Amino acid sequence: MRARILFVLAALFCLLFIAGKADATGEKSPPIKAEPEESPMVSAKTGNQGSEDPAKTPEAGHGQGGDGHIELGEVLPLWSCIPFACMLLSIALLPLFMPEFWHHHFGKVSAFWTASLVIPFVVKFKGIAFYEIIHIILADYVPFIILLWSLYTVSGGILLRGTLRGTPVVNTVMLIIGTFLASLMGTTGAAMLMIRPFLRANSHRKNRAFMVIFFIFLIANIGGSLTPLGDPPLFLGFLHGVSFFWTLKILPLMLTVSALLLVSYFALDTYFYRKEGIGLSRGDSKKEPLRIEGFHNFLFLLGVIGAVLMSGMVDWGEINTLGVHRSIQDWARDAILIIMGILSLAMTSIRVREDNEFSWAPIIEVAYLFIGIFLTMLPCLLILKAGPKGALSFIINSIQEPYHYFWVTGALSGFLDNAPTYLTFFNTAIGSFYAGLTEAQAVPLLMNENAIYLKAISAGAVFFGAFSYIGNAPNFMVRSIAEEAGTPMPSFFGYIVKYSIIFLIPSFFIVTLLFF
Amino acid sequence: MKFKKILFHTQFRQFAFNSLKTILELKRAGLTEVVLTFVIPREEVAFVPYGGYLKDVERYMRENAKLRFQEWQKTISRMGVGSKIRIKTGIVNAAVLSIAKEEGIDLIVIGAKKRTTFEKVYVGSHILDVLRRSDVPVLMHKYKVRFESDEGVITQTNDRIFERPLIATDWSTPSENAVETILGFKEIAKKGFVVHVIGSKLIKGVEQKEIDHIKNESENRLNAYCLKLKDAGIDAEPHLSIGNPVLEILRLSRETESTMIVMGKTGKDWMRQYWLGGVSHRVAELSELPVLLAP
Repeated sequence: MRARILFVLAALFCLLFIAGKADATGEKSPPIKAEPEESPMVSAKTGNQGSEDPAKTPEAGHGQGGDGHIELGEVLPLWSCIPFACMLLSIALLPLFMPEFWHHHFGKVSAFWTASLVIPFVVKFKGIAFYEIIHIILADYVPFIILLWSLYTVSGGILLRGTLRGTPVVNTVMLIIGTFLASLMGTTGAAMLMIRPFLRANSHRKNRAFMVIFFIFLIANIGGSLTPLGDPPLFLGFLHGVSFFWTLKILPLMLTVSALLLVSYFALDTYFYRKEGIGLSRGDSKKEPLRIEGFHNFLFLLGVIGAVLMSGMVDWGEINTLGVHRSIQDWARDAILIIMGILSLAMTSIRVREDNEFSWAPIIEVAYLFIGIFLTMLPCLLILKAGPKGALSFIINSIQEPYHYFWVTGALSGFLDNAPTYLTFFNTAIGSFYAGLTEAQAVPLLMNENAIYLKAISAGAVFFGAFSYIGNAPNFMVRSIAEEAGTPMPSFFGYIVKYSIIFLIPSFFIVTLLFF
Repeated sequence: MKFKKILFHTQFRQFAFNSLKTILELKRAGLTEVVLTFVIPREEVAFVPYGGYLKDVERYMRENAKLRFQEWQKTISRMGVGSKIRIKTGIVNAAVLSIAKEEGIDLIVIGAKKRTTFEKVYVGSHILDVLRRSDVPVLMHKYKVRFESDEGVITQTNDRIFERPLIATDWSTPSENAVETILGFKEIAKKGFVVHVIGSKLIKGVEQKEIDHIKNESENRLNAYCLKLKDAGIDAEPHLSIGNPVLEILRLSRETESTMIVMGKTGKDWMRQYWLGGVSHRVAELSELPVLLAP
């Protein structure tokens, strides 16, 4: 399995890189022509035939992730978003109501909704649609999956051994450490690193479900709000031009929510600890000192951070890959991330990974599902980018204030995956404030002139990812590991009613009052 | 070396029980306990995308395995052998190796995977990993196999596997261990075939005199191995061959009508071993016979 994954990753990268190089040197056939003029429907509706505006050509402004076709967004009907809605509803409902079917057939479900969008989209809009599909795969999906894979692989090589005794203080300290690690190694990486030691430390405790839920709140979600590495939505923002350190502006919001949750957690844990009446002597017989194995993986983690930082700081020009212009530094970043993952695999003892119960299954599942999510959300993104001229203008017109963005982005992130939700409202903001500008032009303006809106979208997407099991990918991984370890976890609705509404919503209200 | 305690891992494929029964022959060679092992692959029940853990499915698989094992235990008990059930959820190869360690196992028995139309190998990645990493001998059992021969597709039943073992040796320490392994079931082995293949690459461009020297040296060593087996009461026959080691071992195993291939783990270059597999792994993958690998 490992060999197969490495081979596929390497082959994919080589193929794309060679194609890009060949295109850049003009050795191969010219890139796919995808000028808006090619689509009679588009030009007829928008009258942009022969436009000289560089911002409206498909290859303009792709240095920071590409802009898409504003014209296409103006002509696409609302129902073209149905496959995206169905895809997200499948993710939300099938694990709840048909878990076995979903577990074995989620790839087919994803492929079905993808085909239901891609086939008619390409038949109708031909080259321009093909360009958009290739663009979203190369500019968003590939780097997104490569980052997740490398963080998951590297963090899976770090093993925390030793005896920890789960007292309220120890647990709170673990949650604090994990919360800050999440922004460095990603919520998935931090959650996978910490969850097993956390469960082991508390195996003697009777009430453990609330601990795992606060773990999901803080480490699997809120902690990841400070850097693009932290949570997938922020990395998508980074790919679309939001600078690496901009997300640090969310620090006050993150600290507020984290402090509120940690205080609540400590009080709850202290209450249960006393109620359980656990003596100090219990479980102290076999004490193993704390130690980290696979420590060298922190170097690879630094490599990952450095690569992402580098791609946001340098400008080495662009190469044309399958008709899509991508920055050389973006390819270099992706290559370094793959190398870091491969080095981690090669240099970490297989026993460390086995003791970590490392499995490729979650990352493969995310890869399968997200290709469907990214492709089906294409029309939605294009329509939102068209701003008031698009079929989703009613959303743009009704969402005006920063707190609207925070709560609407959040409400949807809670039940749909937060990465596509972030991108949707990121585009809503661009469409709302800077309709007609390319993404490369609009994003810097959004970061500076309307930073509060971007903060609201970012915080909404990341924070509310904790609202339900389906808000963010690490939530289900943590739940699965906890249940396997014998922790009885609440049901989908039990989680929301007993925990999210009681602890998260009041915290988010306070954030709204203080910051929006 | 005696096989007193055996780990029998199964995924409950067809003929798994028949495989077990053939292994129980080892009772005559000192077998006292069989640890019946079933590992629920974690990916079967865990990490439901955006869901959680399929507790009911796991419980069902666990109970089902337990019931089937309890049935098997009756047969094992009738043969006068003790048994134990171990059911675990996890990574299959890692779980098998860890149970073997915990239980102090002398021999791990694992089933080959079913060959499909497009596959030419009997070994899945989990099995290969167990073969690669085990500290104790591993027997890859293939009870009923279909394979292509010059006379068409043949279905073969490997039910008396310990009777005519073929030992393929490259004179390495694991090869020495392979001979010791056979002595572990000398009570049921009737005849052994000791095989050495001089790799064609080894003698390429080498003078005839040198080739003759290599042949003589190899024959002497083969005879010494045979003598060792004969001393233990097993009739033995040496076979020297030149060519591709994997293909020659497969050919000789058919010509001698062997019932099992016994080898030491081969491969010195770990990169090559990891990515391509050594001779022992290729033989395990391709042979229609059960293959016993000694560490």
